[in-house]
Formats: sequence, structure tokens, C-alpha cells
Amino acid sequence: MTMTQTGRPDGAPPEGEQIAGEYLTFTLGHEEYAIDILKVQEIRGYEPPTMIANAPPFIKGVINLRGTIVPVVDMRIRFGLGKAEYTPFTVVIILNVAERVIGMVVDSVSDVLSLFPAQIRPAPEFSASFDTRYILGLATVENRMLIVTDIARLMSSRDMELMDEAATE
Amino acid sequence: MSIDMRQFYQVFFEESEEHLAAMESLLLGLDIGQPDPEQLNAIFRAAHSIKGSSGTFGFTDLAEVTHILETLLDRLRKHEIVLRADMVDAFLAAGDALRTLLAAHRGDGRAEPGVVAAVCARLRQLATDGDAPGGAAAAGTPEPASAPSSESGAPPAAASSEYDIEFLPSGPAAADPSIVAALLEELGEAGTLRVIARPPEGQPAGHWHLRLRTDVPPERFGESIDFIAERGAWRIAVADTGQAGGGEHETFGFFDAAPGVPADEGFGLFDDAPGNPRVAAGDEACGGFDPSLVPDPVLPARPAAAVEGTDFGFFEPLPDASASAPSLPVEVAPVEQGEGYGFFVPLPPVPPAPAASLAVPVPVAASVPAAEIEPARTGRRRAAASPDSASIRVGVEKVDLLINLVGELVITQAMLLQCAEGMAGEAPARLLQGLAQLERNTRDLQESVMSIRMLPISFVFSRFPRVVHDLSAKLGKQVELRMLGETTELDKGLIERIADPLTHLIRNSLDHGIEAPEVRAAAGKNPVGTITLRAAHQGGNVVIEVGDDGAGLNRRRILDKARERGLPVSEQMSDAEVWALIFEAGFSTAERVTDVSGRGVGMDVVRKNIQALGGRVDIESLSGAGTRMTVRLPLTLAILDGMSVAVGSQTYILPLSSVIESLQVDELDVRTLSNQARVIRVRGEYLPLIVLHELFGIAPAATRFAHGIMVVLDADGTRAALFVDALVGQHQVVIKSLEGNYRRVPGISGATIMGDGRVALILDVAALAAMAKTARSAA
Repeated sequence: MTMTQTGRPDGAPPEGEQIAGEYLTFTLGHEEYAIDILKVQEIRGYEPPTMIANAPPFIKGVINLRGTIVPVVDMRIRFGLGKAEYTPFTVVIILNVAERVIGMVVDSVSDVLSLFPAQIRPAPEFSASFDTRYILGLATVENRMLIVTDIARLMSSRDMELMDEAATE
Repeated sequence: MSIDMRQFYQVFFEESEEHLAAMESLLLGLDIGQPDPEQLNAIFRAAHSIKGSSGTFGFTDLAEVTHILETLLDRLRKHEIVLRADMVDAFLAAGDALRTLLAAHRGDGRAEPGVVAAVCARLRQLATDGDAPGGAAAAGTPEPASAPSSESGAPPAAASSEYDIEFLPSGPAAADPSIVAALLEELGEAGTLRVIARPPEGQPAGHWHLRLRTDVPPERFGESIDFIAERGAWRIAVADTGQAGGGEHETFGFFDAAPGVPADEGFGLFDDAPGNPRVAAGDEACGGFDPSLVPDPVLPARPAAAVEGTDFGFFEPLPDASASAPSLPVEVAPVEQGEGYGFFVPLPPVPPAPAASLAVPVPVAASVPAAEIEPARTGRRRAAASPDSASIRVGVEKVDLLINLVGELVITQAMLLQCAEGMAGEAPARLLQGLAQLERNTRDLQESVMSIRMLPISFVFSRFPRVVHDLSAKLGKQVELRMLGETTELDKGLIERIADPLTHLIRNSLDHGIEAPEVRAAAGKNPVGTITLRAAHQGGNVVIEVGDDGAGLNRRRILDKARERGLPVSEQMSDAEVWALIFEAGFSTAERVTDVSGRGVGMDVVRKNIQALGGRVDIESLSGAGTRMTVRLPLTLAILDGMSVAVGSQTYILPLSSVIESLQVDELDVRTLSNQARVIRVRGEYLPLIVLHELFGIAPAATRFAHGIMVVLDADGTRAALFVDALVGQHQVVIKSLEGNYRRVPGISGATIMGDGRVALILDVAALAAMAKTARSAA
């Protein structure tokens, strides 16, 4: 994984009370996503999880993460992006959101970036079929468009079916 | 105060809670007509320990209530007054008041000063009532603090001794004159008190020197002084050596070995205090205060400093004493009493474990190695304070960490074993032997570690006698509580969370189940109702029953009520279904609303709470004979004896407790009912068939019934057959929560980690049977 730290744009005024945050970027198919790095616990290789009966297809199952049972979601299936193939290079991002540990399969992890709130532009509204609630905004870094995602909200959403009804929003 | 006592607050809170609990159970166990003196003593000790430590920690409100409580108890155990039932109630109320005070100090809730004051007044009233016949002493009447000679106590008995008491108030007592006044009052009650030296009027901080003639053993009032002055900043010596050394102290021989001192002068170490005519030459050997060793600013205030003895030097110089001489009691702070001589040698702060802090700082003779004495004495002391102190307090998270680590170890061990077995003949025999040994050891280790979290259910049950006692009095019913299987162990987490639902069930039984005595008598029953609490292990479950021999549930009334509330009911419903209605929200059949129950909250909460624990509650009832509510709880966080079965590529664990048998069947044994439900004939009995791969949507290895295997299961009393590909083996597995990071999965009760590090899911047999039923009816 290459770590390219984008320089802090000179004199960029902090907007509101926010300051630059660090984001982990990863790719799903041809799209690039960015999530708050503080939500990431670790990154590990894919190992076949134990299947869960009658779970939606994007929930691959559960794995043993040093004694803890952790569910694994394949975001490629969830968003219908790329091919859900599992190679030795398939990556699982272990997230720590909503006091839970969740594994997320992505195509690849790109780098860690600093983004100022000013760099994140609001995403345009789409039709109801595409839920923009989990998108904090879009950021452009070196001609790449990053979809800045509120991963905690996404993972605790009802559609992910990762949590019992009571725990979801 | 130089050390921060806050760090010990938690210990104090826990200990006090325990003392309160012990006091309560003892009180409830008292035979009012003929109280066992030993029990009265134990109650007194519990109250006293709370008082002592709350004083130490500066919780004066607690100390105040316990003081009054203790005064009354003390007189009871001395047979000065006679125990009455209303006293027990007052004591229980005092216990509750103390609990609220404790909670308030802890930061949850607020203590109502009015309530506490009322409790105190009640106790005082009882004390004075008790006086009327006896007329012995005026307990609780405040004594002027400055009284040079308080004669308020009972006249000293012939066998009394005279003690020299010196102390330097510290902590809150140094600021508040009333605390010292209370001590003087208390001492005055114990015997004849003379104040020999005292600090200026209205100024409690400073050197106090008292002379007390009493028949009370010194450790008793020593404890009281202990919470006014810090350990090491006070001492008690016998002025009258002829009578000293009596009681339990003799056994320890602390005082006998002073060189040159006859054995019976054991207490003479402080004889040299001024004003004591008995300063004898023989005592010099153990004279505690060597002026040459003590920095000047400290000791001139101490009358004892003038003594010659050099052997022990109790007041050895403090490194910081000269710098802060005027505040000696503060700086002297904690002193390890067992440290041979030199009570005032500064030592690292010792956590003032209440039991230990009660110990009177007894001089240790030089000829006896301190190390030998200290364990013996603390041991004895502790044994007296709490009967089961052979335990340590450990944070639950530490235990959980340990359990997790051991779990990991077991997995690693299994992995190694698998690895060695994979080497076939190449593995050296010694390696295999070693691995087998390792397996046994890890298994034992795991079992013992798991048992740390297991507690007997008596932890929960112990609160119910009180609940029943209070409630039955309030409701005017006569109820006897029987408790069985109190030693049944279950996980600590469960223990904590099952208490509230069980309390609800018991209250419900008492209020709705048991009839009033006259009704019972009219029905030809014993007017005293019985509530039975029973706990037992049943397979992989803990079963707790709350039974009563009351009127039983009224089917008619429940159905009427349900209709009134617009619930869909019919006359055809089975009894079990009707009974289950009482768990609906807002359902209550009580004819009138009492403050005990009848508002219809409770039973639905009970069911919710029990379900949240993964348990179930069932009701059986027979009109006129009684009701029995059965709570079934899984043993979470326990090792489960499991059987692993394979379906397609997946491995599942079946709880061994629910497996009855497994068998291979002939295709012809499987029949269908109306072409939907399938049953299988096993030994002449038709069992519903659950086909796991269909239920879970897995591609099976065995598509035909003849190729796989049937496992006959006991799912909550009903039997069913589960069809799987193959049996894999039998393991002990650690149940891991699936809900921690994921969610509840239908048909799965949890997960575990197998020897190869993979996750296997544990099947929930009862849920599977239910799923198969709905799947069939949906089909």
C-alpha cells in the first residue's frame, strides 16, 4: 500500500469547527471511496468465512478475528460493483463502527489522504433509488473523484442487515 | 489528608454492600423469641464494620446511622433490652437507609435526609423504649464533649480494666468537634471516662488523652477510635496491668515476650503515660518513646515522650515529620502495624481494608519476629469479620480477558494437534505424547478459568427472603419461602440480570398467587402460603422455578380481561396460550391496583428481560392448587458439550444435551402428511423431520435420506429428527456471541471457534423445530 500524503493547501481556512481529517481510500470496481481512518481497525487478507444461513448475499459470513466473531460484508456485491472474486489479494478492511467490529471486502485499498472539509463537496441529489444518505460528499484529489462515505451510518443502516432491528437507525 | 482515599472508595462501597447484605440475611434469619447470641454478634459486627470504615473514609452520615444502629444492637446482644419484631423491621429499614446513603455517595441517586433522620429517630425511640424496663443506660443521649468525667455508661463491672487512650484526630474528625464528641460519648457509654489531656476547647485537632475504666475489651473501642484518628495516630494501653491481656489477645502473645516484663504485664507497653501511677521499672524495657530518636517538634506535645525505655522506639523519626510537625496525625498516615516495632515508621500507603483497619495497633514484642505475628493476627481478625474472606476481588474484565486467552490457547493447542496428526507416522512419539499432555492441561485450565465466572444462584436468591418478608407484611399474608438448589452455578452476567425478573415473578406470586390467610383457611389450605424457588441445571440450561400454592390463574378472568383489552382470544385457546396472555403489555387481572403490583407493568417486562438473556418463561397453573413459572436460561459463556455435524461444506454444532440418538434411516421411513409436512418413524413413533440443508439453503452432500444421518433431538420436550450429511465429532466448545458484532440469526444460538480457527455456528434446536413448522405451514 502506498501512502501519499497530500500537502495541506496553504491558507485553507478550517470550515466550521472541522479540521482536516485522514481518510482511507479503497476501490470498488472503478469507483473510489474514502472513509474516516479512525473507523478502520486493521486491514487483512480474505479468508473464506463461515456462511450464515438465510443471510443476504452480500453478507459473506463470519470470521474468527483473534477470538471474536466478526461478520464480513462484500461491498462489491452490496453496491453491485466489480466482480466478486476472491483471490489471495482480496482485501478485508476491519472496521470499528457503532461499537462493533465488521469486516468489509473491497477490491483494493489505495492510500491514506488528508482532506479538509472544504475539499469535500456535497454530492448532487439523486433519485430515491440511490441512497445518498451515507455519502458525506465528493472530493477531488489529483483528478480522482473520491466518494467520501459515512461508513458508520452505512454499516448501521437497516439495509445492511448487520444489526438487530433495535440497534439500527 | 496526604493520601487520596478516593482510590479505596470502591472497595469500601463493595465491602459495605456485603456487610449490609450479610446483616440483612442475618436479621431475617433471627428467631425473635430466642435470638441466637452468635447471630446478634454477627449483625453487630457487620454494622460495626460499616461504621468503622465509613468513618475512616469520612462518610459521617453513614457512620452516624450505623452508630445508632450499633448502640441498639450492642444492648440487644448484652441482653439489656429484648428483641422485638418491630426492632427487626427498624433494623431492616436502617439497612435500606444505609444503602441509599451508600448509593448517594457512589453518585447514583440522592439520599433523602428526611428518610435517614426518620430511621435514626425510630432507632433511638426503640433504644429508649427498651430502656424503660431495664433502665440501665441512657444510650443515644448526647454527652457534653468537654465532660471531664462522663459517667453516662453502666457502672463498670468488677472485672473491668483501666485503659489509657491517646489519639490525634485526623481527617474529618480533625475539623469537626462533634465527631470527637461522639466518640467521647460512646466511650462514656462503655465505662467510666476521664479526660486527662485535651486540646483547647472547641478545637478537636490535637492530642487527646483519656482514661477509661470498662469491662469492654479494648479492641471494641479501639475500632471506634480508629475511625477518628488514622491508624498509627492513636493507641490504647492498659493502665491496670493486672487485668489486662484477657480475652483473645492472649492467644497471640503479642505482649508476653517483652524482655524483662512478666507475661501478665503484656499491655504494659504504654504504662509510662503520665498520670499513670504504675510506671514501673520493669516497664522501661518496652517504653515506647525514645526522645532521642524523635525530632523535637513532634513529641513535646506527647506526654509519653518523657519515658526512658529505648528498646522499641515506637515513635521513630519520620523523614518528613520535622518538616510538618504540627500536622503529625496527617502526615503519619498509614502505618503497617505488623512492622515489628516502630509504629510510626512511614511505609507506603496501605489500603485500609476495613477488616484489617479494625485491628488495634498492638505493640509487637521485639523478640517475636513481626512477620510471624502479622499473618496470624490478620487471619484471625479477618475470619472474625467475614466468614468467607478467603477470596479476592478481581475485575470481571480481567476474568473475561483470561477466558478469551485460554480460549485462544485451546484453539492453538488443537491446531498443533491437528498438525502433528497430519504428519502421520513422521511425528515423533514424544511430540504426540507431549501434545496429548498439553491437551489435558489446557482442558483443565479452561474448565477452571470458566468456573471463575460461575457463581451460585444464592447470590440472587439471598435477596428474596427480604422481599417476601416485607411484602407479606404489607399485604397481610402469611408466606413461607422455600429455596432449593441454591448452589446451582451460573454465569455472573446472568446472575446480575436475572435478579430483577425473578423479583417480579416473586412479587407477582405473592400478590396475585397466594391468597389471604382467611381465604386459604376457608379453602381448607394451610393459612401459611408457600412460595418455592428452585434452581437446577437441566441439560444446557439453567431452570429456575417460582412456584406458589395459591389460587392459580383464573382462565375466565384472563380471557375476559384480554377481550376487554381487545386482544384476539377465543375459548378454544389452550391453557398454555391463555396463561401466556399475562405477559402481554399492560395486562393485569388484579382486582385492585396495589403498590405492589397490579398496574400491568412487570410481567411483560419480565418476559422481555428473560428473552433478552436468550431464555424463556413458561407458566403452569392449576386452579386452586397454585401456579408455577419456569424460567429457562441458557448457560451463556459456558463450555458447551457439542456434537458437530456436517451439511454441505458447513459444520454446525448441536448441543449434546439435546441430542437423543442418531440413526440411519430407510427412505421408506420418511412419510409426508398431506404432502407437506414430513414425518419419520423412529421406533414406532412419528417425529417431525427437519431437513437442515433445506432450512438453511445449503447444497448438501447427501441428497437422499438414506445417504445422510438423522439426529433425534429433544427440543423443549418435543422430539424431532434433524437430517444432516454426517456426524463429525464431539467437542467441548466455547460459546461466542454472534450478536456482539452481528445480529441474532434464526436457528442459531451462537458461534464457536473450531480447532482449525474457523467459526462454526451452534444450532438452536428449539428454534429450528419452530422454523421447520412455519416453513411447512408456509409451503
